[in-house]
Amino acid sequence: MTFIQALRYFVREAALSLARSWKVSALAILTIAVSLGLTGAFLLINHNLHQRVAQWQRESKVVLYLDGALAEADRQALIERVAAAPWVDDVALVDAATSRARFVENFPSLADLLEGWGEEPLPASLEVQIDAAATADRASGSGDLTIWLAGLRDDPAVIMVDDDRDWLAQLETVIWVLRGAGLLLGGVLLITAVFTIASVIRLTAYLYRDEIAVMRMVGATEFFIRGPFYLEGLLQGLLGGLAACGALAMLHTMMIAPPAGGAGFAAGGDWILTALAQEFLPTGQVLGLIALGGLAGLVGAVVSLRRESLGRTQEIAPSWIESADA
Amino acid sequence: MIRFFSVTKRYPGGQVALRDLSLEIAAGDMVFLTGSSGAGKTTFLKLIYREEVPTQGQIIVHGRNVSSLPLRKVPYLRRDIGVVFQDFRLIHRKTIFENVVYLPRILGFDAKSQRQRAYDVLRQVGLSHRMSAFPLQLSGGEQQRVAIARALINEPTILLADEPTGNLDPGLSEEILRLLLTIHRRGTTIVLATHDRSLIERVGGRVLTLADGSLIDDRHLPGGDPAFAIDDLPPPEPPSAEPTAASPTAEGAA
Repeated sequence: MTFIQALRYFVREAALSLARSWKVSALAILTIAVSLGLTGAFLLINHNLHQRVAQWQRESKVVLYLDGALAEADRQALIERVAAAPWVDDVALVDAATSRARFVENFPSLADLLEGWGEEPLPASLEVQIDAAATADRASGSGDLTIWLAGLRDDPAVIMVDDDRDWLAQLETVIWVLRGAGLLLGGVLLITAVFTIASVIRLTAYLYRDEIAVMRMVGATEFFIRGPFYLEGLLQGLLGGLAACGALAMLHTMMIAPPAGGAGFAAGGDWILTALAQEFLPTGQVLGLIALGGLAGLVGAVVSLRRESLGRTQEIAPSWIESADA
Repeated sequence: MIRFFSVTKRYPGGQVALRDLSLEIAAGDMVFLTGSSGAGKTTFLKLIYREEVPTQGQIIVHGRNVSSLPLRKVPYLRRDIGVVFQDFRLIHRKTIFENVVYLPRILGFDAKSQRQRAYDVLRQVGLSHRMSAFPLQLSGGEQQRVAIARALINEPTILLADEPTGNLDPGLSEEILRLLLTIHRRGTTIVLATHDRSLIERVGGRVLTLADGSLIDDRHLPGGDPAFAIDDLPPPEPPSAEPTAASPTAEGAA
């Protein structure tokens, strides 16, 4: 028998088996779909958060709050010194009056807090736009930018340095933790799915043990006997992966674009959900999830047939041994 | 064809099935293997088709030492050995055609060749008209004939039969025995295990007697029943013309 003939036989037998025992097969596919769906959901959140953080990093600023007693000449010298740094794109001076106006505009209910002060209560500041290329250097926690910022913190003309990227770095850490938790949870669920598929394949092998025994007796190779079971596991896994990606895509669509006449998850102005569902998973990750499902199914089939020890001729079929008159 | 050299088979737990057995079965022989239940008959057959391996000694089949045959080569040994059991071992959810056509399918024969082979072999056992029936629609004797057809479809040089008449009434047993003798007449080596000594005495031939795993007798018995005289048996049927799609015998076969 040629490989193509064998493959055709495997496909036919695997499809027949899936159709005959569709209920248990559906259970296996569902288990794979749930585990891959959860893994995919974590990846989706992670992917969108990562995109958001990257965008925020591009838009982030370093704010230098200036000493109120700083002379105009010193302030100008500081602005020039800051602007001369190679990673600075832009420097904007926000004087004390503008700071007060912004505060009142952003927090109108707290506006009276600023009343009664003899002088401007909020300090003037410099808003410094950092070059995007320097962000990575800053994120690594070392390099010239970090040293430069440390120098500004020690400068007596600057009373405080507020770097947006400090909290963005913390958010990145959260993303990594989230990704790790997702992969861990997905991994555990995937192992469960592997054993579910293994049980389904074992059950199928048990149901067809009489036929397997006859095939061994007449001279079928192990490749020929096991092939359909391996393919069945692979198909179950791939279908589970496809179902998971399909469900994720549907959920994603519902989040960003509500169905006609209905309200999507993000329709109420929930910017967090909208932000998280901004982009779907990249094609590579979708294909990876489906392939992971296929691999899990295949591993399940291999595990199940190893546990059944079908390769050992002494275990052709229990009933044969029972009838032995040895 | 088949040679045993000081073969001992001990099962896990210590039970000895065969003890220091040495014998030779020539090509084209028909040998009866007899003995009481538990004498070692089934183990003897299992060792030939490599269902079991001897604890000690060597077994040569077709010039191959099956005792040390790697597992991956066992299927190729079995393709040249037909095996028939007392309980037929037919798959009830499959048709007669599907039951006999396993090996041609494994060997990659196309659908037409599979149908032709199945038709030919079922014709030999007189069941070519029941190709689309299911095993439970047949009598016990017919089911055993299907099992024999399955064993013969690749024209093996050796046919092993383990109590093939054990589940059949005397009339059907005689029918199966006559069929086996006809197959033997074509040159197939047959080893037939049975505890029915009266059957052996009617047919006659080489008889190996086992007791408690040892060969206690190896003799040639003359046949007592003229109904089983080799010369009186019908000649083997010649290969038929290929069944056509319109032929009722091939209906539902594929």
